[in-house]
Amino acid sequence: MPWRLSGLLLAGFLAASPQTAAAQQRDLSGSITRADDGRPIADATITVVGGAATTRSGANGRFSLAIPRGGSIQILVRAIGFVRQQVTVEPNQSTLDLKLTADVFKLEEVVVTGQQTGVSRRNAATSSSVVDGSAVSRVATPALDKALAGRVAGANIQSNSGAPGSGAQIIIRGTNTINAAADPLIVVDGVIYSNATVPTGLYTATGSSGNPISGAAQDDGANRLADLNPNDIERIEVLKSAAASSIYGSKAANGVLVITTRRGAAGKTRAELTQRVGFSSLLRGFKPRAFTVAEAKDVFSTDDATLAPFLVNGQLPVYDHLKEVAGNKPMAYETVFSLSGGSETTRFYTSLEVKNEGGIIGHTGSQRQAIRINLDQKLTNSLKLKLSNGFARSQADRGFTNNDNLGASVTYALAYIPSFIPLKQNADGSWPAPAFTYAGANPLQTAALATNDEQVLRNTSAATLDWFAHQGERSSLQLIAAGGADFFSQNAQVFSPPELFFEAAKSNPGTATRANAQSRYLNWNLNAIHIYSPASAAWRASTSFGAQYEDRLLDRSSATARGLLPGQSNIDKGAVFGEQIELNTKERTFALYGQEEFLAFREKLLITGGLRAERSSVFGNTDRYYLFPKFAASYRFPELLGQGADLKLRAAYGHIGNQPLFGQKYTVLSGRNTISGNATTVVGGTAGSPDIRPERTKEIEVGLDGSLLHNRASFEITAFRRNTYDLLLSRTPAPSSGYTTQFLNGGQLRNWGLEVALGVTPVQSRSFRWESRNTFQLVRNKVIDLPIPDFRPFGAGFGLAYGEFFIQKGRPINQIIGTTGFDANGDPIVSFLGTSTPDFKIGFSNDVSWKALTIGMLWDWQKGGVAQNQTLSLYDCNQLSEDSGRPSGQARAQACLNDGIATPFVESTTYLRLREVSIEYEVPRRIAQKLFRGADAARLSLSGRNLLLFTKYTGYDPESSNFGQQAVSRNVDLGPYPPSRSFYFSVSVGF
Amino acid sequence: MRLLSMHTATTLLAGLTLGCGSFDILNSNDPSEADLLTNPTPSKISVAGTGLFVGARAGVTGEIWILGSYGREGVNLLGNNQPDYQEPFFGPIQQQRTVAWGAEFNNIRSANIFLAALAKTTQLSPAQKSAGVGLAQTLKALALFKVIAVRGKLGAPVDVDRPLSQDPAPFLTEDGVYNYIRALLDSAKTNLGAGSAAEFPLVLPGGFSDFATPAEFLKFARGLAAKAEVFHGSAGCGTTCYQRALTELSGSFLNLDPGSLAFGPYYDFSSGPGDAPNGLSDPLNGAGFFALRVNQTDAQLQPSGDMDQRVLDKIADATRDPPQTVGGFPITGELKFTIYLAGGRSNTAAGIPILKNEELILLGAEANLGIGNKAAAITYLNFVRQNAGGLAPTTLTPASPTAALLDEVLYNRRYSLLWEQGARWIDARRHNRLSTIPVIVPDGAVPAEVPIPEAECQARNLTAPCRPAGN
Repeated sequence: MPWRLSGLLLAGFLAASPQTAAAQQRDLSGSITRADDGRPIADATITVVGGAATTRSGANGRFSLAIPRGGSIQILVRAIGFVRQQVTVEPNQSTLDLKLTADVFKLEEVVVTGQQTGVSRRNAATSSSVVDGSAVSRVATPALDKALAGRVAGANIQSNSGAPGSGAQIIIRGTNTINAAADPLIVVDGVIYSNATVPTGLYTATGSSGNPISGAAQDDGANRLADLNPNDIERIEVLKSAAASSIYGSKAANGVLVITTRRGAAGKTRAELTQRVGFSSLLRGFKPRAFTVAEAKDVFSTDDATLAPFLVNGQLPVYDHLKEVAGNKPMAYETVFSLSGGSETTRFYTSLEVKNEGGIIGHTGSQRQAIRINLDQKLTNSLKLKLSNGFARSQADRGFTNNDNLGASVTYALAYIPSFIPLKQNADGSWPAPAFTYAGANPLQTAALATNDEQVLRNTSAATLDWFAHQGERSSLQLIAAGGADFFSQNAQVFSPPELFFEAAKSNPGTATRANAQSRYLNWNLNAIHIYSPASAAWRASTSFGAQYEDRLLDRSSATARGLLPGQSNIDKGAVFGEQIELNTKERTFALYGQEEFLAFREKLLITGGLRAERSSVFGNTDRYYLFPKFAASYRFPELLGQGADLKLRAAYGHIGNQPLFGQKYTVLSGRNTISGNATTVVGGTAGSPDIRPERTKEIEVGLDGSLLHNRASFEITAFRRNTYDLLLSRTPAPSSGYTTQFLNGGQLRNWGLEVALGVTPVQSRSFRWESRNTFQLVRNKVIDLPIPDFRPFGAGFGLAYGEFFIQKGRPINQIIGTTGFDANGDPIVSFLGTSTPDFKIGFSNDVSWKALTIGMLWDWQKGGVAQNQTLSLYDCNQLSEDSGRPSGQARAQACLNDGIATPFVESTTYLRLREVSIEYEVPRRIAQKLFRGADAARLSLSGRNLLLFTKYTGYDPESSNFGQQAVSRNVDLGPYPPSRSFYFSVSVGF
Repeated sequence: MRLLSMHTATTLLAGLTLGCGSFDILNSNDPSEADLLTNPTPSKISVAGTGLFVGARAGVTGEIWILGSYGREGVNLLGNNQPDYQEPFFGPIQQQRTVAWGAEFNNIRSANIFLAALAKTTQLSPAQKSAGVGLAQTLKALALFKVIAVRGKLGAPVDVDRPLSQDPAPFLTEDGVYNYIRALLDSAKTNLGAGSAAEFPLVLPGGFSDFATPAEFLKFARGLAAKAEVFHGSAGCGTTCYQRALTELSGSFLNLDPGSLAFGPYYDFSSGPGDAPNGLSDPLNGAGFFALRVNQTDAQLQPSGDMDQRVLDKIADATRDPPQTVGGFPITGELKFTIYLAGGRSNTAAGIPILKNEELILLGAEANLGIGNKAAAITYLNFVRQNAGGLAPTTLTPASPTAALLDEVLYNRRYSLLWEQGARWIDARRHNRLSTIPVIVPDGAVPAEVPIPEAECQARNLTAPCRPAGN
């Protein structure tokens, strides 16, 4: 249907578009080449300034363009990755040869302003962060989001745990919701890409509690951005400002990641093979407490006879259980092969990735196999078809970690076992049952025998049909129809065999859970873009409008069996059936939008206005269109700071939304209860909100951008303030109504902050080059208004004695409060202990090249912020911290065991982390050709991820989230998978 | 040309929206309340009707052990939640304010939804609809009765069948609530009568197998009305209500048959899929609920010298070794209730009586005492004393003071209804005899009432513990 429609659309536009008279023209031809090595630049755009005539250079860098006759004209030459050049062509000049220099800081790029429109970054009226694909794939990364950490000013990216294939969360411009979706919208080649986290069902083994809406919440699930091969990525644009993401409407309140994958270039077919081999090892963790017999007798209220079997040479030995469990140094490898090339009409990019990453806890690890085929076909001179297809299989076994109530979590149980207890497998294959432990658990046995496996098959396809319906001297009309589908199916198995000691203690030993999920996202959009410039070329107006449709479906089901047959993990081999869940969601959204961009005063002034009207099945009133307007303006001051400099002031205002969750508008009956074997329904307890509407964020941002010394230095400073209204909340109605909760919209949050991106090339010579990219971000936030009493958000924590999140009017949204002492009456004094939002974050990325050698480093510094270190509270309550025998440890044990004081367990998350290091050597061409037959380039590199972490935080990692993806209750460290550092050696060969 | 393009554009937009699929997507994960109300088929009505029995039992076990702790029948020594033993023995009541409130009003909402669906359906006969209405009204009355029985002078809201967008229903006085219950049960009587020839449009659970026709169910409804009248009588209504109680009893299943003392409807429990187990079925070696020694020391003796047979039947020594204790709390778990056990072991399918013949007989005694017919009261009392307690007839005579006879009524209610509804504390409260309940623990206190839940106060912009104006 979209294709037929686009034809109709065209008919409409042609009728309306202004007709242009043919003017007298002359030819200009020439070549565009690189300034550094003279190689031709393909696909450079050559345009007449102020006019509509445009062309692109071919694979050989050559071009030819019809330009107006008579008088000198200005020609602008742009190419992706190069600094633009504007030159004057004299009346009699017919050839033009230009050399372009590399654009290190991406100042020349076109940044997204709409579904299918963009504007040169030098004019952009909103802050934009663009990350080059090579930056995220240079050092092997488990998933794209982790590779973005420290690279984007305004995005706080943190891992949920150290597990291979674990989840991560991207928080853009603060916490803009309490209960609605907290992660950004992800768009890959125009397809909305699901970033859902589907739990494996680990909670059936650990007994950790869940969320009635989304099910299990403490399973350390992976968000499915993990299925995207980072090596395929050309660029990532992070839309942070409301005015930029407004075009994505009611799912864009947390920002948008616009990801473009690599595509072929016309010319010789290029093949590239990269082989990486590496390993990882434990980064840090809790050290064992050494016990004397007297201390052990005291702590465990036991006697000499009980301790006698443990004595070695008359003393209690010290086993480092964490090293026994998580001390593996597993191998990792990744093979990436890509083939790209094509002709003027057909271009292709294909790639293959096979990746395998072991986990530092035995029997854990993750894999990914990915295939991508991207095809560009020029159907006619004005009609282009772009096809993209990515297929991936991801598999991960993250083991048993995180919060626990039954003894299943390995890292949780470790906090209960004194160092003198042997855990290692006996010679006969049996396992020692620890005399002192949690729920009978032997974590080494659990790690060896338990399974927490998930497999995902995913296919994402996109197609774009781009038609230059009309291209005249003064105006052009482009029609774009794009659509795509993103499917994945996830199959998870949690198997906790009956012989595990903590299972054997249950009445029905052995737990097996099967969890399946199906996700289907479909979307299409139709766009018309009309560009008009008057004969005087004084201004240019781009008008675009279109329609967008999305259909999202996520079906989940899981079933659990207990009392398993030995050796059997099938869920039909249990004695009793446990938790059964089926949760299906289906959402549809349709939007119309229009946008006007006005560029005037020799491309110095840009004014943009836009409006999106959106209706969705999740809104209470499904017929109503909600409006999301935006306005933005920028003004450039070229050469104000000297020659080759550019300065720009900008301001933007926009509205964006956050959709209600599926089902929040309905009041349902509870149908889960039976009586005397009869099925029944009773009132559901939760009353829906029939008029529920999206949360609405209104943001104003102002900024100052500049570049100096011909783009050798650039800066971008942005200040923003965003207010979120109509929060999706739940209140407690009068219990006499018969309902216990009711959804409603109301309240207000505020986030404000400052973002700075600074790029410098201090040295730039033929043999030596130093590029430095730095980001700074600072966010503050506050609950301005709440129509309901202050409340504990979901996953707030484990009581005021340990520190908890608390949503309170007039206070920071992410505040952690806790008991800090007692007043004269003996009542607890509850105080503010900090916020999970850091004071500021700074990312330092430096690349230094000397001849063929390049050394790159990415440092990430976070100042302030606090986390709930509940892992420490476990060790302290059990008096098993390394210093529990000394006054410092005894004081914390006292706080935990007797006083119920939270202060020691809410710790600062200030850290300095060396996220990435790489040392690359570009093998001289001659040698490369000798080493690898047919090769024309080869690169060797040594790289490492997460190598150093300097922090006073005493838990596993200041970046932890027991509850996974959360708007508020992040930074809860409760027995997460321990963090690791990884090293890689890689060889890349280009053919 | 321009006109044509406008027309094309309009057609296009209409076409686009149509091409998108329906936006009215139902939540398929749970049955919809609106669907039951707009499209009430007999099968949906049936499951919603049976659901009223799920709602009716929802709060019962909690009410029994909490009110039973107030009346010093037993104690919860699980020890995982301090207020469980702290509040009943020392006060003040905070966490337990929700007792006999949330679950009860939940079921009243379920009943009102069921009634609305029933009123709408055209697929049931008028007689079947009447029978269903009568049943739902009776269960509504039961829920509201439980609310007022523990709150007394605080009163309660009754006009709760209103949308959430409206203000919460206003509080009525205790008298007003009892009058409302009377009207509800009178209407139930009419409706059950009108439906007497029909079958209920729902499946009644096992505990109601003897009350599964409208005519039999009416006997339960009248018995419940009698109980409400007796309670209303002790709440100030006096003779009028006691007289009405006697009339209601005559229509109930009261039966002076020594073999039928336990006859009556029961709350159902089981460990089947989706069902609720009887949480009070804590085995002799269990660490949960314990009977207090005072049940034995207060018991009258049988002619043989044994304790009241009801104590022997309902209480046994705990077998847990060492005996269950909770740090900082002075009561040790020594005795166990055996009424919900089978051979000393847990029986999660044990039913809990809602209203049994033995109680109807004692209500007869109390009502007769209320109207001054002491001789009839003594007849009823002696029937229970002899057949349930194995005791000799009372030495009291029609000449004895009313207060002494009331003591005897309350003694028998205490032991006949032990660990079944918190009767001792409720009775002491309504007869202003809370001081007769020993505090047992040093510096302890017996709660005077169950306050209004905090959320109910907050919804009315009142600070908890709140006392509705005028009550």
